[in-house]
Formats: sequence, C-alpha cells, structure tokens
Amino acid sequence: MWRRYGDAAYTLMTLAIFGFETIALGALSLSFLLGSATGIASTPVEGILLGIVISTASALGLLGLYLLSYHFISAMRDRHHADQIDSWTEWWVGLALTSTDAPLEDVPERHRLPRVAVDSVLSLLEAVKGEEGDRLKEALAQHGVDTRFLRKARAGHLTSRLDAIEGLGKARLPQALDPLLGLFHHPRAVVRRMAARAAAGTLAIMPPEPGPDGPHARFVDALRHADLQPGVVQEALLLLETRAGPILRELLADPELSDSLRWVVLETSGRLGLADMADQVAASASHPDPELRAATFRALRRLGTVPEGAAAALLDAVDDEVDFVRVQAAHAAAFLDPDAALPALEPRLEDQSWWVRRAAAGSLARLGEAGVAAVKRAAESHPDQAAREMAVQILLEADELTPAAARLASGVA
Amino acid sequence: MLATPRLTDARILVVDDERVNVVLLERILEQDGYRNVKSVTDPSVAVTLYDEFEPDLVLLDLHMPKLDGFGVMKLLEDRISGDTFLPILILTADIRPEIKRRALSAGAKDFVTKPFDRTEVLLRIQNLLETRFLHLRMRHEAVPEGQAT
Repeated sequence: MWRRYGDAAYTLMTLAIFGFETIALGALSLSFLLGSATGIASTPVEGILLGIVISTASALGLLGLYLLSYHFISAMRDRHHADQIDSWTEWWVGLALTSTDAPLEDVPERHRLPRVAVDSVLSLLEAVKGEEGDRLKEALAQHGVDTRFLRKARAGHLTSRLDAIEGLGKARLPQALDPLLGLFHHPRAVVRRMAARAAAGTLAIMPPEPGPDGPHARFVDALRHADLQPGVVQEALLLLETRAGPILRELLADPELSDSLRWVVLETSGRLGLADMADQVAASASHPDPELRAATFRALRRLGTVPEGAAAALLDAVDDEVDFVRVQAAHAAAFLDPDAALPALEPRLEDQSWWVRRAAAGSLARLGEAGVAAVKRAAESHPDQAAREMAVQILLEADELTPAAARLASGVA
Repeated sequence: MLATPRLTDARILVVDDERVNVVLLERILEQDGYRNVKSVTDPSVAVTLYDEFEPDLVLLDLHMPKLDGFGVMKLLEDRISGDTFLPILILTADIRPEIKRRALSAGAKDFVTKPFDRTEVLLRIQNLLETRFLHLRMRHEAVPEGQAT
C-alpha cells in the first residue's frame, strides 16, 4: 500500500542519497590511493570519514523520516477515503431505499459528482437492481455520469476509456447498450473485451424485448460479426445469466454460425446447465469437426441428459476415431439407457487412452446395478490388465470393491 | 405452549467482505422492521460472532478473500447440531450450477443472485425464518415439559 503514492519522490530521494554516498566514498578512496599508509590516520582523512558518517546518518535519518511520514500519510488518506466511501454509501443506500413516490430532490446540487461518490454508487449497483437500482441510475443520469462515461468510452486515453467502459458495465445502463455494442469492432482487443463484458452485464438486467430490433437481437448480431476471442464470447454469454437462454438458442439455430462461435455456445449451454436446450445442443452430435462433437457431449454430460434422438450418434461417438471425442462421449453415455450404453462402454475399458478407459468405467458405475456388475466383472477377470486396473480404481473410489477385486487392488497399489 | 416469535425479532447475521453490501442489507432489513441484525466484513470473525449472537439466519457471501463462504460454512457446520435448522442464505454473483450444488451440499439453504432485488431478498429471508421458527417450535414441543431449556 505504501507504494501507492509518491513513487517519483521516493525514487529521487533514493537516487540523491546513493549519489551523495558514492561521491563521498569516491573521495575517500582517492585519498587512500594518494596518501601513504600512515596517511589514513591524518587529520584530513579523519575529517572526510567524519563527514561521511555524519552525512550517511543524516541521509538515513531523512529517509527513515520520509518512509514513516509516507506510511502515516497513506494510512490517513486511506482512512479518509474509506470514510468518504462509507458516507456516500449511506447516502446512496438512503436514496435507493426511499419510497418510490418521493422525488429525487435529495440528490446534491452538484454538477459533477466526486470520484468517490461515483465509485460508491457503482459498487452499490453491483449489489442491487430493480426499483432501487433504477433510482440510483436515475440519480447518475441527473448528474451526467452516464454521458460522461459514454463520451470517455468513445475517445481519449486507453486507461480512461477502459475505466469508463468498466463503469458502464457496473452501472448497467440500458442507454449504454448500443454504444457498447459499437465498441465490439474497436481495433484494440482489450476495448472489445471490456465492451463485451459490459454489454452482456447490461443486457442481463434489461427486460426481454423480442423481435429483430430488440436489444437481444442487436447483441446477437454484434456478437456474430465481432472479432472476439472464444474465451471473451464465453465470458460475455455467461454474464448474461438468466437472459442467456434465448440468445444461445438463437445462435445455435443459425446454420451459418461459425464453428468457433458454435463451440462457445455449446460450452456455455453446458456450463449454465440449461437442460431445456439439450435437443438443440445434441444437434451437433455428428458435426464433422471433432472439437464440436466433443463440446456437444461435454455439454450433454453437464446438462445431465441425452435426448433420444441423439442416442445413436452418442453410441457411435463412444467408438469415435478421435480420443478426446471418445472421452466426452463415454462420460455422456452415463445418461443413456443402461441396455444401450453397456455394450458400447464395456469394450472401451480396454481403450488405448487412459482417459477413455476412466470415462467408460466411471459411466458404467453410474448405470445402476448392471453397470456396477460389469465393472466388478472387469476388475476380477478382464483379460486386459489396463482394463482390470481401471475397473479396480473406479470400484475403490465408489467404495464398491469386491474381495476378489480388493486382492487385485492391493496388487495394483 | 411456546409463543411464536415475530419474524422481526429474529437475529440475523450478515457476512460479506464488501462494506457496500453490508450497509445495503442492514438498511433493507432495518427498513423492513428487523431489529437484531449484526454484520461482519471480516469472515474470520464470523464464527466468533455466531457463537455470541446465536443467529436465526445467516446471510453469507460466497467469494471473499482469505476465508470464503464455503470455509465459513465448514466452520459453522461443527457448531450446528444435527437436529438444528440454521438457514444460510447465500448472496452471490456466481450463477454457475456447480457452485450452487457445492454450496447446497455445504449447508446453504437458499440463494440470492447479485445484483439482487430487494423484494426477492426479503421474501427469501421471511420464508427461511418462518421455517426456522417452525422447526424451533417443533423441537420445543418434542421436549417433555419441564425439560425445555
């Protein structure tokens, strides 16, 4: 914390002290070189030594005083800042919780709110929404904070621009949505990223407005045509929270959606646990791109369901030529009918990939009695050693070890 | 017969590292008539305050530095007997299903997502407190007269 203010002064002082000491020590060295051995004890050398000791002590004293003052002043400033934040927070909370019938006349008559007041209300807007949040936004607009943020977000130094975009993201002002969408095409990747986050957060609290000109449609359109990294798109889609479903559905329904965006949408659908999207997710189960097939099965596994229409594709994928597809398919097969899944998973116990063997054994153990029995059989008598070991491992983890498998397990250990 | 306490008499403990959130919740609860509200911004003292205050409801943030909401729930778990219903309402901006599952298995009873709606949070608090008081009443009635403490 003590490096927060006064860095330049600290550097200059350090430089001056070290410079002074270097010159003094240089003079001392020169006198040693020019003088004889007995000269060390001569009066001029003693004078130099005395001068150096005094100056070093003074410099160190000064430095110590500076550091102490610095800590003290920083602590005072921090406390003052915290007090100001507390004071403004109380004021904003009071305003937010005022009866909705009351006018906003209590807003201080200041043309420009201090930074601490804006920071305080932005933090508050991250915690509250609804009528209370709307009142705070109204107060922000009365002071022109929204227009100031929007102006800074479009032009100016990168730092202040990013600050403004972050502020808009926290404030979640509906009027900022379109300007933020416009920044999706900014040449700087960091601006595009911040804008995507802020726009998604804003959209998350806006009421749904269906139609080709609604905010959701505009967001989807901007997302489709923006040059955003997959991770950024995924973060933005996650930030949509409860509003994500319709947008993800619209994106998945687009046959011309790019593969990278489709991959992101599949991942996000799974992460958000949108089980009602299982049919749409499963539509990519036979996609030619193995990354997309794997993402589909990973999403279905997270959703905890496999639609009937996707069962055949999933069973095929358990035997896919690409190992990471087989892994995800084997995981998702735990949600199939046991009669269909068992014959597909059992052969995978001897797959060349450790990950596939593990996924297959794990899914078998989740298929109920028949699946657990298959794993036990494998643990005790499977001809392939790797299959036996994996089955034993899964039984150990599931606390289902049979005596015969336990003997094997002790051998494995 | 144990008189059912008024909900507004309930003791509520707020644990959130963000001072802004604490002030907001305190004022919301105060405005709704709740009189026994204590709060901490340092989660490491939450357990001590829990012992002193014996709350009927804990409002808990999940993501906090040093000791997060899961850690607080773990510490509280040792203090809550098996037959006690202590509702923990989680306040979080994290909506991922796995986080909810993890929190529920750690002892949370309900969730409110930040930014939250005042009405929603008050309704959830009310529901949890009603359940808490019903549970206390059932416990009291189950204990033979004269043995109730």
